This record gives sequence, C-alpha cells and structure tokens, in this order.
Amino acid sequence: MKRKIYIGLLLIAFIFQASIIQVQAKEFDYKSKEFEAVASQFMCTCGCGQDHFECDPKTCNLTVGFKEDIVEMMNKGWNKEKIREYYVNIYGEEILTAPEKSGFSLVAWVMPFVVLILAGVAIFFIIRKWVKKKETEVQTPDNESDKDEVEDEILSSMIEEERKKYL
Amino acid sequence: MYLFANATIYVGLALAIYSLLIITLGISTKNQKLINSGKGGVIAILVCASMAMLSLFYLLATSQFQYEYVTDYTSSELPIIYKLTALWAGNSGSLLLWTFFLVLYTVMIAFSRKMRGNPMVPYISAILLGNIVFFFLILGFVAKPFVLLDQVPIEGHGLNPMLQNPGMIIHPVTLYLGYVGLAIPFAFAMAALILKNVDDFWIKMTRRWTIIAWLFLSLGNIFGGQWAYVELGWGGYWAWDPVENASFMPWLTATAFLHSVMIQERKNMLKIWNISLIITSYALTLFGTFLVRSGVLTSVHAFANSNLGLYFLIFMGVAVIGALYVLMSRYSLLKRSAGEFNSYISKESSFLINNLLLVGAAFGVFWGTVFPLVSEAVRGTKVTVGMPFFNTVQAPILLSMMFVMAVCPLLAWQRSSLKNLKKNFLIPAILAVVAMALMVVLGIQKAWAVIGFGVIVLLFITHFLEFYRGVKARRKMTNEKVYLSLYRLMTKNRRRYGGYIVHIGIAFIAMGIIGSQNYDVQTMKTVNLGDSIELKDYRINYERLDQKREGINDIVYAEMTVFKNGKRIGSIMPEKVFYGNWDQPSSEVGLISSLKEDLYVVLSDWEDDGKATFIVKINPMITWLWIGSFMIVIGSLFAVWNGKYQNITPRYTGVRKEVS
Repeated sequence: MKRKIYIGLLLIAFIFQASIIQVQAKEFDYKSKEFEAVASQFMCTCGCGQDHFECDPKTCNLTVGFKEDIVEMMNKGWNKEKIREYYVNIYGEEILTAPEKSGFSLVAWVMPFVVLILAGVAIFFIIRKWVKKKETEVQTPDNESDKDEVEDEILSSMIEEERKKYL
Repeated sequence: MYLFANATIYVGLALAIYSLLIITLGISTKNQKLINSGKGGVIAILVCASMAMLSLFYLLATSQFQYEYVTDYTSSELPIIYKLTALWAGNSGSLLLWTFFLVLYTVMIAFSRKMRGNPMVPYISAILLGNIVFFFLILGFVAKPFVLLDQVPIEGHGLNPMLQNPGMIIHPVTLYLGYVGLAIPFAFAMAALILKNVDDFWIKMTRRWTIIAWLFLSLGNIFGGQWAYVELGWGGYWAWDPVENASFMPWLTATAFLHSVMIQERKNMLKIWNISLIITSYALTLFGTFLVRSGVLTSVHAFANSNLGLYFLIFMGVAVIGALYVLMSRYSLLKRSAGEFNSYISKESSFLINNLLLVGAAFGVFWGTVFPLVSEAVRGTKVTVGMPFFNTVQAPILLSMMFVMAVCPLLAWQRSSLKNLKKNFLIPAILAVVAMALMVVLGIQKAWAVIGFGVIVLLFITHFLEFYRGVKARRKMTNEKVYLSLYRLMTKNRRRYGGYIVHIGIAFIAMGIIGSQNYDVQTMKTVNLGDSIELKDYRINYERLDQKREGINDIVYAEMTVFKNGKRIGSIMPEKVFYGNWDQPSSEVGLISSLKEDLYVVLSDWEDDGKATFIVKINPMITWLWIGSFMIVIGSLFAVWNGKYQNITPRYTGVRKEVS
C-alpha cells in the first residue's frame, strides 16, 4: 500500500513539475501590463535613462538578466511590493524610478503641494486685502461691474461703424 | 585657417569688452558718440560670431580632422547635413551657436526701427553685452571650438547616431533661440528699472519678445518630443529627464509672465512679481545650461562632464544677485502703484491662480530635478526621481491649470457677479458633465481620463463661446458676413485670439497626453516568418527579414503588412541600424498614424532562421499632440504678427535721457 502511495506521489510530482516547465517555456510578454507594473519600478543602470520595462534588451545586456529575474520572481508568486523590497535591499533606494513614500523621501512628494497650498493661502489673503482696499475707497456701480468684454466688443464695433460713415 | 578661426573668437571678445565699456561710459557721460561707437562694435561682434560659425561649418564640412571638435563629432562618410549640424553636437560648438544667437538678438534690438531714439537701448545693449562677454570668455578660454590635435587622425569618431535625425537638426536650434530669447526680456526689465522707467512701454515690448522666446522654447520641446518618439523606440515623447525639465521650467515661468503681464497692463499692478518672473525665467535658462554641462545629474542629454557648469552657476549667481539688487533699489518706485481688486471672482483673480499653478508646476519640476542632490546632501543616499514622480505630482497641477484655462475666458474683468457666472457657465458646465457621462457610458472609465477629457470639453465650449459671442456682437452692429466678421474680430485683437488659439492647441496636446498615457496597449512577440501578430483590431503579417548597407552602416529590416479589422491599411518597415563607428545600434520604428491612434512597431531582435521579436504598440491620440503643437505655433505667430503695429507697438513715454 505504502509503495503505491509513493508511486502515486511521485507521479503527481512528475506531472506538477512538467506543468512548471511548460509555464516557463511559454514565451513571456515583456510588454504586458502586469510586467510593466513590476519592472517600471526599477531604473536601468546602463545609462539609457529608462526603466527596466522600457529598456531595450537588444541594446542593453543588463536589462536582459534583470527582466529574466523579475519573471522568475513573478512565477514564484512574488508580488510587486515583495520584488521591490528585494531589490531595494540589494541596491538601495537608488534603483527605484521614484523615491519611496516614507522617511525623508516623503519630503520629495509632499513639498510641491505644501508650497502650492501655502502660496494659495497667501494669494487668497492678498486678494482679500486688495478687495477690502477697493471697498473702503469707492463702491462700484452695479451696471459697470457687469460690463464684460463682449460689450467692449460691441462698443468697438459701433465706433468702427461710425468711423466708416464719417471718415 | 587656424589663426583666422581663433582670431574671430578673441577679436570678438575684445570687441565685446570694448563695446560694453564704451556704452557704459557713453551712458555715464551722456555722450551719444560713445554710444554709437558701442553700437558699431555690436555689428563688428556679429561679423566675428558669423565668421566663427562659418569657419566651424567649413571645417566640419571638409572633414578637417586636425581639429579636435571635427574629430570628436564627425566622420568622413557622414552626410553633409549632419556634418554641418554637428556644430551643435558638442559643448564648444553649441556655445558658439548660443553666442551667435545672442549677438544676433542684440543687433536686432540695438538697431531696431521701433527702438530708435529710445534711451533704453544703450542699457539693454550693455546688459546683453555683459552676457556676450561671458560667452566669448568661455569660448576663448574654457570650451574652445578651434583646438588643433597633436596628431591628425585618419578618421573621426563620428556623430552619435541618435543625433542623425531631422528632428535633431531643428530641436537644438529652436531650443537655443528660446533660451537666448529669454535674455532679451531680462535685459529690457533691467534697463527699465535702472532708468526708473516703470510705465508699461517696456512691458509691452518685453511681452512681444517673451512670446517669441516662448514660441521657440515650445518648438524646441515639441521637436525634442517628436524626435524621442520616432528615434528612441520606446514609444514615449517626454521622459522628465533633468535636461528636459531644464527647458520646461522657463517655459512654465514665461507662460506665467505672459498672463500676469496682462494685469499689469490693465491695472498697473504686479510689477515686482512680473519682473521676478522675468528674472526667474532667465535664471532658469542658465540653470538648465549648468545642468547639461556640469554632469551633476545623470541625463541622456548631457554633454561630457566638464567644469563648464561651474562657470554658468557663477554667472547665474552674479546675474540673479545683480538683478535682485536693481529690483530692490527700485522697490519703492514699483510698490507705489500697488493696486486693488473689485471682487474675489474676476479675470484678475483667475490670472493669479493661473500664476500660482504655473509657478507651482515649475517649482514641482525644479524640486524633483534637484531632489537627488538634496537627498544625497541630507542623508548621503542617492535617489532617482523619474517619470512616476513627475507624472504623479504634475498631473493634478496641470489638470487644475487646464480648468483655470477653460474658465478664465468667460470671467469678466473687474467683477464676475453670480448672474454673470450663471449666464456664462451654466450651459458649458452642463455640456461638459453630459460629455463626461457619455464617456463613461462609452467605456472611458479611468477617473483621470474622464476628468481630463471633461475639462478639455469645457475648454472647447468656453473658447467657442468667446469666438461666437465676439462675432455675434460685431455682426449685430456691422452686418458683416460670418467669416469676415470672425476675421476682423481676430485681426483687431490679435493677442487675445492668438492666445485662444494657443489654448486650443494646449487642449489638443492634453488630449494626446491623456489618451496615450491611459489607453496605450502593447505586446512583445517572437514570431516566425509568415506568422502574424494580433493586437486589438490590428493584424500585422511578418513577411520578410533582410539586411542592407547604407554607407558604413548595416541595416536589418523587417517587411510587414498591416491589416485593421481585416482590411489592409499599409505596410511598414521597422529597422535596426548598426553604425560603422558607433557601438550602440538604434531603432527606426515602423509607424502608421491616424487621428485615432498610432500603430508603432519596433524590431527588437531576430535569429538566423528569420524568427524575430517585435514590440507592437498602439498609442491612442498621439496625432492630436502634433496638431496641438502646430496650433501653438500658429497662435503665437498670430499674436505677435505685426500687421500695422496698431495693436502691438506702444509709444515710448518714459523718462528722457540724452543718449539712445
């Protein structure tokens, strides 16, 4: 009985292994969305200035091995974050195409918006100051405030019409 | 030839120093003769710079490899056009081109018909001459274009194949015209401040020059993007590379200036802000040059590392400190006219928001560009700041910018009442929301894309209404035919309607960016001869793989027939080019463009039995990017086109001086 179980297990292992080989032998699409999600996180260091998703394997030997390694990890079931962690541990944060969103690198992400918000608040107060200054000086009649550029346009057309008549 | 060529540089330097000194002396002693002598000097400098350019062209065209520059950037089999364009392939040659443009602009200002008798001219000339002296010093002592080699090589190193493309002939020239062009508004602003001339004459003249510089800067970036798209084989057009960022930043600040200057014209406000924008734009052009030439940041565009960047950094420092000193010394004069707003919601306010977003976007780009240096300085860790960062940070800012652009034309100057807002915005807003709902129903379901396209629809409607209402108002009074009325409306308000054309162009570009970023599909397949690749509606039959020789280059190419929905739409021939004097091969993509999408095929790899690997991409709406770019050019030209000058050239009413 035991022998039969061993043979059965061996048979299952053999079938399973064959399926793995089949999966690996199948051509992998290096331009698929799932590969892009993982590979575009990493900067190629060959000097091309591109990430490992974009870098052309024909012109860069570095990316050939890198791409194969990523596929191997994906086949092992590693997700995007785990693969990212693996490479950051080896090469440091520099391998990433964008800084981490934690620690000091978070400053990179936050700073532009902080500056924008602060400047926005400053502009609001400046406009408020200017509006108040105007209000204290003189009340603008309502009819004038509604005047828009189309009315300017009409006026200039009229002037031109008159000019044509008399000149 | 060696003596002559070098003489053009050193005589040019001597003349530049002479002209600068004599004009400065002329200004301080109010002696017109000295000023005229200086102006004559400027003409002589132009002759020197032209001779230097012609000398280098001649040496490059005739493959005189005894010259280091010719050896470094050309080879004898190179087509003549690329031999000539190698002039701006290297450090010293490109700086010579820069100097030539700077001198050319200076002559145009010094002898401008419109500036005749204007006391600002000597000041502007002196400031530009300061720049010219710096560039001649660099050409004479740091990056010398005419250096002889000890041994004459039989052959040159050749031109980087990436630069052997029509896009690369024009891209650097337009970019330099833009960069150099921004020195003119800077010189105008400084001259006006020194003269205590705070009327709006200078700002109108400056605006005109800024539009010209802005147009060239736009063209430079567009040609660069187009080149990257067809030549680099990655299917993109903008990589947020530090050098691309360096040209985008002054573009953003110059755009901000072109808008805020309208508030100064109308309300005599924001003078300090506008001058600051001019100074910033000019400083950013020097900062860009520092980035390209110093090697502090890794970039595909960078020239060989040299200490040249340091000189630019010092020059930038001197220029900015000098400019700030002049600005501060005139602060009370400028502050005197601080203005007032009628309402929170008005065209003026929207221009301030526009400036906030544009300068904020420029800051975002700057911050991302220098963050690797900041990170290294603070924690000793290098980081890379690439596309994902810039796309994430810039997308919301630039989308908000598009929204402001859509809303602004319908806001009234002075004050927009609730009634006014309702009248102007109800229908466009409803139509934009309906369009967004329709997009969702039709399958466009990515949030950014729907919002982006919605804003673009709003922009188109508000801009259409601007034209419609203008024509309607004219016709009501003049009974003209529609087209005549439209023509007259536009030609009588060139700046305004030119600006709207540019807005529509930007909207088209945004369409191209949103479409291609969100809905591109691609695959990489290895196929046998006779097999086909299928992607979406396309079937691409791989029919032949062959090799040919062009000069010293070997070209491997594939012949492919393309079918869409079963119908043949054409054939393509993606290539891989192996250069005789360059290690890296390059890709020539196979491309079929339509208004809807581009089919983009790259030959990636092949084997002896004919089996080949292809990258096939479908990039939606790319053509709109180029159409939008074309409209930007048309709009800018329309805005600055002179006609009878009635809209453009203002009369000088500033302070009078004895010399001009």
